[in-house]
Amino acid sequence: MTRLLAEFARLAPLLVWAAVGTALTMAAAVVVERTAVGLRRALNRRLTQRYRPLIQRALEGDQAARDALLGSPARHRLLLAWLMVEPLIEDRDPERIARTRALAQALSVFQLADRYLRSWFWWRRALALRALGLVQARDHTAQMVAALDDPHPDVRAAALDALTDEHDPAALQAIVVRLHDTSLHRGRRGAVLKAFGSDCEPFLLDWSEVDPDNRLDYIHALAICGTARSRPVLCRWTRDPRVDVRATAFEALAYVGLDDEAARVAVEGLENDEPRVRAMAAYALRGWQGPGDAAARLAPHLDDTWAVAVNAARTLQSMGHAGLVELQARASRQDLSGLLARQMLWQAGAHR
Amino acid sequence: MSFFRDALIALSFLITAYFVLWNVSQMAMGPLAAVILSRHRRRHTRRARRLATGVAVPPLVSIVVPAYNEELTIVESLRAMLALDYTPREVVIVNDGSTDGTLALLQRTFDLVPAPLAFVQPLRSEPVRGIYRSTSEPDLVVVDKENGRCKADAANAGINAASGVLVLVIDADTVLAADALSRAVLPFLEDPVTVAVGGSVAIANGCHIEHGRIVDVALPRSWFARFQVVEYMRSFLLFRLACASQNAVVIISGAFGLFRRDAMIAVGGYDRTAIGEDMDLTIRLQRYFRARREPVRIAFDPNPLAWTQAPEDWQSMRSQRYRWRRGLLQTLWRYRRMIGNPRFGTVGLESLPYVAFFEGLGPLVEGSGYLITIGAAVLGYLNWKYCGMMIGVSVFLGAAVTLLSILMNDLTSRQYMQGRDLALLVAVAILESFGYRQVNSLWGCVGTFQALTGKGGWGSMKRQAFRP
Repeated sequence: MTRLLAEFARLAPLLVWAAVGTALTMAAAVVVERTAVGLRRALNRRLTQRYRPLIQRALEGDQAARDALLGSPARHRLLLAWLMVEPLIEDRDPERIARTRALAQALSVFQLADRYLRSWFWWRRALALRALGLVQARDHTAQMVAALDDPHPDVRAAALDALTDEHDPAALQAIVVRLHDTSLHRGRRGAVLKAFGSDCEPFLLDWSEVDPDNRLDYIHALAICGTARSRPVLCRWTRDPRVDVRATAFEALAYVGLDDEAARVAVEGLENDEPRVRAMAAYALRGWQGPGDAAARLAPHLDDTWAVAVNAARTLQSMGHAGLVELQARASRQDLSGLLARQMLWQAGAHR
Repeated sequence: MSFFRDALIALSFLITAYFVLWNVSQMAMGPLAAVILSRHRRRHTRRARRLATGVAVPPLVSIVVPAYNEELTIVESLRAMLALDYTPREVVIVNDGSTDGTLALLQRTFDLVPAPLAFVQPLRSEPVRGIYRSTSEPDLVVVDKENGRCKADAANAGINAASGVLVLVIDADTVLAADALSRAVLPFLEDPVTVAVGGSVAIANGCHIEHGRIVDVALPRSWFARFQVVEYMRSFLLFRLACASQNAVVIISGAFGLFRRDAMIAVGGYDRTAIGEDMDLTIRLQRYFRARREPVRIAFDPNPLAWTQAPEDWQSMRSQRYRWRRGLLQTLWRYRRMIGNPRFGTVGLESLPYVAFFEGLGPLVEGSGYLITIGAAVLGYLNWKYCGMMIGVSVFLGAAVTLLSILMNDLTSRQYMQGRDLALLVAVAILESFGYRQVNSLWGCVGTFQALTGKGGWGSMKRQAFRP
């Protein structure tokens, strides 16, 4: 015991010095990091002040500014590329994008992007993809599509962002094929479909016929970009044996919009055994003011399970006079459905 | 006598070894945190963040704000929430039976009128007295309820009334960053197994706030709050980031937590008997999904998404620390079967054992360490030189860990970047070992005693209006 303690006592000064050394190293790291950041910020600020007005003038067609940019040192190209491309994140004016692309071409920014696309570092590949997408470099679509299979998830996400921004119909088939690829971010898959809109619809309808196992994904996609063209197909799928498919088909119909036949199918759906299907059938009727007794058929569902009742109430609120009459008829009841009816009537009054 | 002497000396060395291990383990979290920070910074570019608005159907987020006697800050906080850059969203304020003018102030400021609101109540809470909606702010709902004597009860009432797919539960005095929601929803859009997202919380004391927004970040004027600034940095940018890197987050701060509503309801919402209701809920979510072998992810955003007031007076801080301590021990006791249990993956094998060993035992070991080491020196069993060395080790290693967290903070958000701020932070890193830490340990010991004897209440914090 005494020997052990003696050994410990011998180590104590070493421990103190190690602790002091660690603290000093950390302090030095903070100071060095702050100095480096400060210097980099100052340099960036100076270069930004110099180049931003030149880029603006060059984009407006000033040849002298363009020549000045062409004469800038190669080591400034990355910053130049950033200053050119960054405003395009918010400003998607096609004219500006085209002028930026032409300027980037002249400044050999695409060569830099190509080099970055081959980089070993994932963040460089991602950066290059996003920049190429923002300037809509359609000669790089193949690289963007290939990047959807990149081993790094963030590069795959950047490729989807790039394809969303680029909006090249040539990439559409490749995007639709990857609709079920769970290695791609779910939200980004939806965003790219939203960006392409109804251009996706023919591919989705074709694929959904030949690939029934993934029908649910196609219906989700049609809910984002479907048009009246999808309506008959969606009506057909409301009779699919799978509950998920039936419910989602009704949900998609709500986005696509109803015609008389689709409204009839939705009213029929209100009698389905599955609450989820009934809820989505009620949802699909939102805003419907066409022929039929949809409001009267919906009203009893205020007493249904909560998810169905909420959808029925909101739909009744959106159906104009017929819906409001049904809500008023139930508003005096003291149960939850009465409260729901009063809430909808109150909201309708408050928003009027 | 000799045995007593040897035992005392051995104990003091053991305690030093515990300190060294604790600090070294925190230092080891540095590289893990740095990797996460670097990846996060490269991922969450401005373009990537646009996903929150570019997605086909952005999820409705309900911001639930339990409020009890919050008349000093509620209006400013609420204005900031209504001006967040993310839609669709709604704000559900739960007036938890306030005895001050919170409800009247809200009614006056936001033109509240009684309105019917139907909702099922899957979570238990005290009775609701009334529902109000604003005629000027359509996204605002105020739930007035009987006081439930705990935040959990009010939060549950708010979750019941919320109609969002995602629920953000925040404190009434929390100031949100303008892009807090669009940042926090990203993990949900990217990964469908995400059930919750926590955010880094920074201290608002000393910051310049206008219309509920932080417009200028500055260190607090009081040293007491400055110590808490580095404490928050250590907690959020080392331990929680390291946990996030292992998908083993065990606490989402009550000041900012975004949850999937269905997941919250599945686990029964906030536990009204839990003292540390935020940690309790986070662990319950982990347990629920992991026990069912369902994939789960609780993400953490290292950027400061929310700013909160730190107590600047001893009494408020003492009661806060007592409560935190009781909450921690209660939670560890409740979920003791998860500790070391491989069924719960990294939560059972990494984060919970770490919390139990260092956070759970820490104040007791630290408190007894000071007593034993100084006692042994006074009795002549330990050379004063060695006594000084042991204290030196604890001071310098502690300072090193704090400096590491300052470095992490620089890498994350580049706050406090003035030269004066750096000098102050370094001073805080050194000075906190002389008094502040010891007081904290003492409070930790008292909190432990309260936990064991079942004493102590929620306590109260002296609120201050935001400095314009």
